[in-house]
Formats: sequence, C-alpha cells, structure tokens
Amino acid sequence: MRMVLNTGRTIPQGNFVEYKPSPEYGAETSRAFLAPLDLMDLGIEAGDRVRITYGGRSVVLTAAASDDVPPGTLFVPYGAHANHVVPAATHGTGMPDFKGIGVEVEHTGEPVKTVWELMEDLGGKRYDR
Amino acid sequence: MTRLLIKNAYVIDPLNGIRGEVMDIAVKDGWIVESVDDGAEVIDAGGCLTLPGGIDSHTHICGTKVNFGRYMMPEDMRAGRTQRRGVMHSTSGYSVPTTYGNSYRYSAMGYTSVLEGAMAPLEARHTHEEFAATPLQDTMANTLFDGNWMVMEAVRDRDVKRAAAIVAWTLAAVKGFAIKLTNPGGSECWGWGKNVKCIHETVPYFEVSPAEIIETLIRANELLRLPHSVHLHCNNLGVPGNYQCTIGSMDLAPDLNPERQSLYLTHVQFHAYGGISWKDICSKAEPVAYAVNRKPQVTIDMGQMMFGKTTTMTADGPMEFNLYRLHHNKWSNHDVELETTSGIIPVYYSKTSVVNCVMWAIGLELALLVANPWQCLLATDNPNGGPFIKYPEIIALLMSRRYREEELRTLAPEALSRITLPSLDRELDWHDIAVMTRAGQARALGIRSIGKGHLAPGAEADIAIYPIRVDETDPSRQYRDVIRAFQKTSWTIKRGRPVARDGEILVEGTNKTVWVKPKVPDQYDMGKDPEFARNFDRYYTVRMSNYPVQELYLQRSLCMESEAQL
Amino acid sequence: MIVRDVICPFCACLCDDLDVHVEEGKVTAVDNACDLGSHKFLTDHRMKGPVRRTASGWQEITLEEAICETAELLMAAERPLLYGWSGTCGEAQSAGVHLAELVGGVIDATTSVCHGPSILAIQEVGHPGCTLGQVKNRANVVVYWGCNPMHAHPRHLSRYTTYADGFFVRNAFKERKVIVADVRGTDSTNVADEFIRLQPGGDYAVLGALRAIVRGKGDVVPEEVAGVSREQLFRIAEICKKARYGAFFFGMGLTQTAGKYKNVRNAIELVDELSRHTKWTLTPMRGHFNVYGFNEVCTWMTGYPYAVDFSRGMAFYNPGETTAVDILARKECDMCLVVASDPAAHFPAEAVEHFSSIPVVQLDPFPNLTTAFSRIQIPVAVSGIDAEGTAYRMDGVPLRLRKVVDRGYPEDAMILSAITRRIADGGGP
Repeated sequence: MRMVLNTGRTIPQGNFVEYKPSPEYGAETSRAFLAPLDLMDLGIEAGDRVRITYGGRSVVLTAAASDDVPPGTLFVPYGAHANHVVPAATHGTGMPDFKGIGVEVEHTGEPVKTVWELMEDLGGKRYDR
Repeated sequence: MTRLLIKNAYVIDPLNGIRGEVMDIAVKDGWIVESVDDGAEVIDAGGCLTLPGGIDSHTHICGTKVNFGRYMMPEDMRAGRTQRRGVMHSTSGYSVPTTYGNSYRYSAMGYTSVLEGAMAPLEARHTHEEFAATPLQDTMANTLFDGNWMVMEAVRDRDVKRAAAIVAWTLAAVKGFAIKLTNPGGSECWGWGKNVKCIHETVPYFEVSPAEIIETLIRANELLRLPHSVHLHCNNLGVPGNYQCTIGSMDLAPDLNPERQSLYLTHVQFHAYGGISWKDICSKAEPVAYAVNRKPQVTIDMGQMMFGKTTTMTADGPMEFNLYRLHHNKWSNHDVELETTSGIIPVYYSKTSVVNCVMWAIGLELALLVANPWQCLLATDNPNGGPFIKYPEIIALLMSRRYREEELRTLAPEALSRITLPSLDRELDWHDIAVMTRAGQARALGIRSIGKGHLAPGAEADIAIYPIRVDETDPSRQYRDVIRAFQKTSWTIKRGRPVARDGEILVEGTNKTVWVKPKVPDQYDMGKDPEFARNFDRYYTVRMSNYPVQELYLQRSLCMESEAQL
Repeated sequence: MIVRDVICPFCACLCDDLDVHVEEGKVTAVDNACDLGSHKFLTDHRMKGPVRRTASGWQEITLEEAICETAELLMAAERPLLYGWSGTCGEAQSAGVHLAELVGGVIDATTSVCHGPSILAIQEVGHPGCTLGQVKNRANVVVYWGCNPMHAHPRHLSRYTTYADGFFVRNAFKERKVIVADVRGTDSTNVADEFIRLQPGGDYAVLGALRAIVRGKGDVVPEEVAGVSREQLFRIAEICKKARYGAFFFGMGLTQTAGKYKNVRNAIELVDELSRHTKWTLTPMRGHFNVYGFNEVCTWMTGYPYAVDFSRGMAFYNPGETTAVDILARKECDMCLVVASDPAAHFPAEAVEHFSSIPVVQLDPFPNLTTAFSRIQIPVAVSGIDAEGTAYRMDGVPLRLRKVVDRGYPEDAMILSAITRRIADGGGP
C-alpha cells in the first residue's frame, strides 16, 4: 500500500538520543504510527510489523495506532530506521526528503532490526564494549 | 619586548601641535619613548607622511546585526574573496567583510583602533567574540540604550542619577565603552511596529520623549565621567526635512566638558536633508554645519555616502523597514528585548539617482563647511554610507576641488541645484585630514589619556607610515596619489610591532578591548537593587547572573575606571 | 551543592534557569529542566577513553595517539569533510573552522539537514526577527507552523509563548491566541486555539493563500487549499492582521517537505506582508542547543553560515554541492571528522554507506551509530556539563555555558587545536 512517510522528533527519541544503543531508542525509532483505518486496510493490528520500501531500500518497523496521524501517511520518529529508506537526493538544497516521500507499506513477519544491525548492513561494525 | 626606531618620518601630530616635521620616533615595549639604543630595529620612513594609527569612531564591523548582514548576503561575500596566505586567514566580503577581512583591510590602511557603532547589551558577548577575531585593531563598543526600559523609567521619573547608575552597571557588565542612542524612543515604538517622528513626541506607555532621553543621558554621562560623550544617531534618519530635528537635537546639548564635546552626532549626512519628500529633497548641510560651528560642545562625523553597492545596517529598525518598502529588496530585522532594535537591507547608491547625488554632496559639504576639523570627523558609518575602504577617496575629495569638480560632472544634473558643493572652494590640508582620521577621534572618544591618537613619548606605539612625500605632493592636483597612499601604508605599526607592510599582514595579532567601569556609591549599585533585578526575573528571558560578559572574552582588557559623581 | 542558573545544553531554547544538584562530583538531580534536559544531565553512558577500531575489535589508545593519528589522516586526505558541530561550544567550532581552512577541507554542520533551507530562504528575502523576550512581553498571537514544540522544545511555550506572562501580556494564557499548523495532530495542536490541519506538501500553497488574503486578493483563493477550508484561511488571516504583535515560529514541516527553502521563503514573505499592517516577527525553531552558534561562528570567520569548502584556499559556499549529505552521496570525501553529532543515525542510508569506505574520526562523549564507522573515537567533555563555552540561542542571544562537574575528559577545542598545531608544525597537509 502506498503511503506518505513523515519523520520527526519525539520526546522518547530525544531522551535517548545520547544512548542510541539502548533498547528504548531502537524501539522508538522503529515505531510507525498509522491511522486505525490504515491498519485495517493493511490487515494488521497495532504491534504487528510492517516493511516500508523506497527506491530499492527497505526497513521493518512496528506498527502503532494513532488517531492523530492522517490516513495515508505514517509517522516515524526521526532516526536510523526511517533514514534507512530516505533517499540521499537533496535537489540542490543540501536537505534530503525527510518528509513527504511515497513509500510502499506491507505487512511482514520479519523482525525489526536493531540499530547496530542497520549500521552493519551499511558496512559498519557494532560497538559492543 | 621590542625596540624600534623609525627614522626620517614626516610627522603630523595634531594633538601635540606638530604640523609637519621630519623626526625620528623611538619605540620601546609598545610605547613611544624619548630614545632607544643602537640595538633597535630600524625602519626608514624615507621622509614619508607618518601619522598616529588611524582611529575609526563609528563603524559596524562586529556583532549580531553585522553577522546577520554577512550571512544574508552570500553575494557580498563572494565579491571580496582572498585566499589564505602566510599568517593571513582567507577572507570574504565586500561591504560586510568577515572579521579577518575587516581587520586586514583596516590594517592595510593604517587603522589601529575602532569603535564599533552599536552593541546591544544583551548580545554583547557576540560582539566581543567578533572583536577577538578582529585582531589587529584595539576595539571599543558603543552600547545601545535608546530603547532601554529601565533607563526610560528613570527618565520618566526625572531621576538622572538612577539613569546613570543603570548605565554604569550595564557598561561594566557588558564591557561597553560608551552610551549609544539610536533613534532614541523609536526603538521601543518599533516593538509595536511604530516610530517617533519628532524629538518631543512621547513613547507609548513609558511616556518619555527622545529629547528627554537625550538630555538625561547627556547629564548622566558626565556624572559618570565617561571618556566619550553620548553618541547619538538622531531620530528621523533619512527623512526629507529632517535637518530641523538634527539641529533641535544639537540644541539639547549643554557644554559640560572642557576636554571634549558633550554630544557626538554620528553620520550627520543622513540627517541634513531639506525638502518635504524625495521629489524635492535638497542639502541642508549649511544650517547644520553652522549650528556645529556655533556649538563647541558638539562633534559630528560625516557619514559620507559613496556610490556603489553596500549594505545598510543600523539599530534604527523602523528606518530600515521603510527602506525595505522603498527598495523591495531583502530585509532583516532584529528587535532586542527591553533594549533596542536593528535592521539590515542591501542598497545601491547610484549616480543616476538625484537623491543619492544630493546625499553624496551633503557629506562633503559638512566637512567643508564645519570650520573646525576637530568637530567634523571622517566616516561613512561603515558600511551604511559605503565601505571603509573608500576612506582614501573621501580624503582626496576633501583635499582637491578639482577631483570634486570631476565627480560633480558625472552626477545627475538635476541634483546640482539642490546642493552647495559646486560653490565650495575650500580644500582641506594634511593636518586637517590627520585631525579628521585620528587625532580628532582620540579627543572625541577620550582615549588620548590611554595613549591613543598621538606620537609623543607616552603614547602607545600605533603608527602609520603612508607612502607619500608631503613636500613633493600637491594634493589638489595629485589626488590620485593621495588615494593610493592612504589605501596602503608602507608600514602599519601596532603596539610597537610592525603588523602590515605594503598591504601584507605580518602577524596574527591579539587586540585590546577598552571598556569602562564607573564606580558608583553602594546605594546606586544596580547589582544590589531589587527593582532592577526584578526586570531580569520577570521580563528578560536571560537570568541576571548569565547576563554579564566575563572578562575572559576579551583578548586583552583595558578598563577605564572613573569615579561617578552621584 | 546546588548550582543555580545553569544553562541547559539540549535544545536551542537554552533555558538558563536550571538548578543542578551536584554531590561528590556527580549530578544527582536537576530542577526546572524538561524531560530532554533532565535526561541529558542525569544519564551517563559515556565512553571511558579513546578507542581505535581494528580488524579484530576495539582497542583502547591514548589521547596523544588519537590526536596524532587523526592529524595524519587529515593530512593524507585530499578532500576531508569536517561535520557536526551543533552539540559543542563556539570555541570548538572556531577551532574547527581554522582546522578546515588549514587542511583545505569542507566544513558543514547539522544545519544542512535541519534549518539549512531556512538560511537559504533568509539569503533570498531576509529575516524579520527578534529576541524571544519580545515575544514573551508583547505577542498576543503566536503561530507554530510545521513544528511540535511540546516534543522538540518542551519549555518553549512556558518560557516564551503560550504560558509566559510578560510586561504587556499579564495573563498570557488568556490573552494569547495560539495557532498551530501541521499535517497531523500532536501534543502541540492539542493546546492550540486554532489548528490548521493541512495535507502533506501543502504548506507552500496555504502560506500563499494567506499572503493573498492579507494583500487583499482573497478572491483568488479557492474553496479549499491543501485540505484547509477557505473559511478557516480567512479567519486565520484576520486574526493575524488584527494582532497587536504576532510571532511566527516554524520547524521541519517547512524545511523538510517539498519546496524546502521556498516554503520558508513564503512564510517570511507572509510575515513581511503582515508587518505592513501590524507588528510581526519570525523565528526558526533551531534544534540543537548550539547549531545557531556554528552558523554565527562560521559566518564571521568565513562569510558563510555552513557548507564551506576550503579546497580553493578561500571560502566557497554552494549548498547542494558543498553540503555533507551530497558530498557523502557522491562519495567525494576521502576522510571525515565528525564532532558533536551523529550523522550515521541522522543521514539517509546512501550517505551513511560511504562512511564504511573512508576513515572516520569522531569526537563524541557517547557510543553512537557513527561509532560503527569510526576508526577512532575520542570521548570528550560535554559542553554545559563538564565544559564551559559559548552557545547561541535560537534567537541569537549568546550565553556562556557552565561547567558543573569535572569528569576528566578533554575538551573539543583543545583537541582540535592540538590537531591543528600538529598539522601546521608538520609543514601542513
């Protein structure tokens, strides 16, 4: 299902922004808020997982319900999960499309990756001391 | 430290009555002394014009609104780029250069001290940070009080001493140098999008007039025994017909100080307009200059406008908004809570504009009609009238009637009937120029006592050697040589150390910031005043303990203390 | 011991009324801070000392080794990128600019992915602004557009707007009208007197419609603009025109959606237009506590607020070309020094990928996602907690951050200066 991706700051994301390896941080940045109607259309419930895809990249998130989010959009707290699919093109402005890209959304059974796993997908190495 | 001997210097030192004598200047440990030993480094000035280091008494180079001007104008930045070279950092900027750009260019012109035109106390820390990055000039800051709530309340209550106490606390807290009033009363009105049109109009809620603010602060200034006088940017800047307001403001100044003026009016060119609209604007430099001539208690600076592109930036917020409505170009504004305001717009002064031609003439007329050069100093209100790199051209215009005539021929013809410049024959001489670019500033700012502006033993060794032989030059005919010479010194010496040679900067530099601390009796110490503290608790958005600027922000600090007569 | 009037180093509200309780060299409690600020003072997951990543794992190294190796990496690089800067003090930012100039690299800050577009708009039409106390003392209408201050700047409303009583506004909560524009409901829209709910990507059109109405050309406005009814648009325009003093705040809703700086330009021009009728000011809701500080420092030193390329020996500025995301996406830099920010977490994946191909050195107190790509990380003191320094609030007011504890960590400015000296003494890059 095609939906508009919106990312932004939240208090929980900010509280753990200096402790990104924490489970709380990963849980917040991998959460996708959808309108109840959209959950229905996707055939899922809050707590189920969705895969969002854009431009050949995709990431798995956990769905949460929100009456505040307009149908047709999903809100994901700003972080590595959402940025896994946000394209790097800045249209000459230096600023990528952090808000407003049209992503494919589908129900998935695959697990949500940790932030370290995401980094390793991009060629990084987890810090585990 | 170092010893230096400058030989064969053709010295003009107005503060010591020297009008052109070949002599040697001995320097030791940063000061001018009677003599030095044979081991001293020798600079042969070759009989060239040698003056005390230049002092700019009104320039906008450091602080919040200057930086606003920079980052909103990348096109201005691109217009003046230089590469990193030796000790010189890369620079950018034409009319609003970066701090290193300003410092290097001023140094190349022989300037060693500058007074920043406007600093809002709340944002003083920013000004001081930029001062530290302007390392080749000693710096001072005009501190804005024109819209200060606490001051206006004291003015309303006719409490000069309380006004003085507030000024004393603030200047010491933010390391300011002098009282600056820009469009007094108008700043507070601009907080509501309004302005004052006349010095007797009252400011809403505070119920004080610009005249009352000016008068009270002139007296407060003298009670505090500050080195400089009140520094005033009159109301109604740029408005046709404003010359009457300017003369009216001058009339407010009593003669309270034997050493210097009691009121310094800045960039008076912008305040000497006749007519009632842009259509009939004309020069009123004559009545304004004659008012100055009658009042030894007043000193002005020209605020000369020069043609070309520049950026206007002042604490006169409402004026800048009106300019924006006229020019339809970009506009920035910055109101500072409880204190003041500012505005910025880029402009282009054009020879095809009758108004601009009149403005250009007015600045020169002021300098030629004010009889005493000590009362009319050279400045462009950099960058408002034009960038300071144009000072040499202004010098040449003042020294050469021929040059003026050549320029007059290129102006919009309609302007000629609105100005008196064509009929002025006077040509200023080298001594006049030395007064208007350094000695006069030292006197007006009250900094002769700390060794600025002269070359006798006891002075700070800030010296500029210009590549021109006065005895071989007729400035009236050879004005191009005059321009060339004042654009680039052979040597600029700061605190006894050569810092510039033929335009090349030789050292990184660390400058000195001069500030004032008037000592007041305990009952006038605002640091202990609960009513004063309440403003911080309730209305400012910064705590009183976080407001003062720590001395560590100053590269080197020179505090001029005084005993306030409260 | 209680240290009073401490300045919070989280967001650009720079609240300076925190009381920090310190016992035996540790922060034990914080009064007056919001959740974000409290967490910053109280949580502590700092790295112990400098580390280097090798094929076999992470090894501890000395500060001296870290500095030397970083200097070597910078010297060897042809096009180094020095990125981050928003989370440290001005003294460090200044040292960073000097270093970038010396090595002929590109220096950019988090601005480019935050309010960079606002700066681009300001460079087109200017910035009609003020300090926050003007808003507190005078504003009777406040607009929050495309931002969620309750989550990103939690005390903004109580210190400067909705709930902040001022000299001319004695009962803010009653006298002040708050308008919030967003594509979704948030905790901020919940406290608004008027919620403008617009469709994603509709900001430009809605701002344009409001401008038209304010200019007296309301007839061109159709029944609905991007989900906002004509009736609401006229009502909002009227409120704005009749304001005694209006303050417009905005955030990523304008800078990160299609149009980017054009959205911000439209907002600025709306405020300019309103200024012809009454008093209005505009303030970008800057994010990091000292991102504006970087723009200020970089501007007075180079002439440009961010994205400065020194490869020509002088400052060159061209956002879209000299901005970090673009440089990384084009795989143009061959080394990256990251200071006080976490691009691996906050940049698109395609840009982050390039980090794995180049040496990355990071100055940061905490293990973060950029650590995963760092060859060296040096933990440093936190400005505002264990290091003093200058920071600029979102409205340009400069404050001096305090040092409330000493943790024994080196400071950014010192390390950057040491690296610079090493390179300069070594004959340059």
